[in-house]
Amino acid sequence: MTCAELEILLCDYVDGTLRGEEKTALESHLAGCSACAELAKDVAGVTAFIETVAPAEPPAELLTRILHELPTARPATKKQSWWWKLTGGPVQALLQPRYVMGMAMTVLSFSMIARFAHIEPRQLRPADLDPVKIWASIDDRTHRMWDRTMKYYDNLRLVIEIQSRLKEWTDQDQAPNTGASKQQAESSRQKPEAGTSEKKR
Amino acid sequence: MATVAIPAAKWNWVPPYPQGRTANNLDADAQLVERCLAGQDTAWEDLVKLHTRRVYSICYRFTNSDAEAQDLTQDVFLRVFKNLKSFRAGEGLFVVWLTRLTRNLLIDHYRRTRMDRATESIEDQVKVLEETTAMLSRTDGMLAGREASEVLQAGLQKLSPELRETVILRDLEELEYREIAQVLNVPEGTVKSRLNRGRAELARVLRRHKVRI
Repeated sequence: MTCAELEILLCDYVDGTLRGEEKTALESHLAGCSACAELAKDVAGVTAFIETVAPAEPPAELLTRILHELPTARPATKKQSWWWKLTGGPVQALLQPRYVMGMAMTVLSFSMIARFAHIEPRQLRPADLDPVKIWASIDDRTHRMWDRTMKYYDNLRLVIEIQSRLKEWTDQDQAPNTGASKQQAESSRQKPEAGTSEKKR
Repeated sequence: MATVAIPAAKWNWVPPYPQGRTANNLDADAQLVERCLAGQDTAWEDLVKLHTRRVYSICYRFTNSDAEAQDLTQDVFLRVFKNLKSFRAGEGLFVVWLTRLTRNLLIDHYRRTRMDRATESIEDQVKVLEETTAMLSRTDGMLAGREASEVLQAGLQKLSPELRETVILRDLEELEYREIAQVLNVPEGTVKSRLNRGRAELARVLRRHKVRI
């Protein structure tokens, strides 16, 4: 038996559960190996010492504190039938305040969009479900809505003011440019005349 | 030739559990958990009463502080309360599940308070050593009961967390090697190796404090 093998079996030996050949081999190793014998002595000594140690008792008020801070009984977790899981569970989940609030906000948002886009709710007829008609209706409404939005944008006071100011600035920029171009045109006209007079000389 | 003086009491093997951890009381744990989950009024109280001592003892031996052990015990039961549904009776014993939960909290606590321990005043440590030495001089190295408990506490604090938890779980809480392996998530061989090293280290510390072992 090696020292490493002894280390694994030493716990069982100290516990008194080692039997037969293993026990004999271990004892013969201990007789010939002083390091392992020292280890076995220490291990056995400490286990014997710990047996004399008084247990650590919790103070009485600790139990009261634990029970006081936590509810005395766990919430019931009854087993639910498959029918309840299929119907009751999802319905109950949907009836949670946050879901109900979310659904209400969605309905409100759609109704506001419909009102803005002048979509009036009315009774559906089979003819309304014709794809061509639906497409034509969507196309028509989209164009109407776009035109209405553009008209609204153009009529905004702020937009008109910005546009008029931009126009003023553009005009002011063009005025000096036109003056300068006139002067350039005049000077170019005079230069050819001077050239011809020099040639004449 | 070296002779090993192993205490005579250890030669005759006796079951390590004073009350005997039989199949009946293991079933009782599982039944208690079932009753808790079914919402029975007294079941939670019974469960807390039954296991407070074990949880407190592990926490106290590991931290060496009554106040910290009490707080940690409360935290453990709070976590048990929240996670009781995740316990599966078929997958292992409730005691192992509870001890693993306690150990995880202790390791978290150990990491969290590492800086505090590093800055602990030298005077406090010297004071503890002086008290221990004075007590030993009165008793001539032969200790038992509460005094032995205090000396053991001082010795345990000198061990690394790995060795300390293994010694606590085996020698003080008397868990089986298989159960300790499950709690620590290491092979049984590693548990035995750590146990030998922990006990040998503890023997050296106790001998340095003139405890006769």
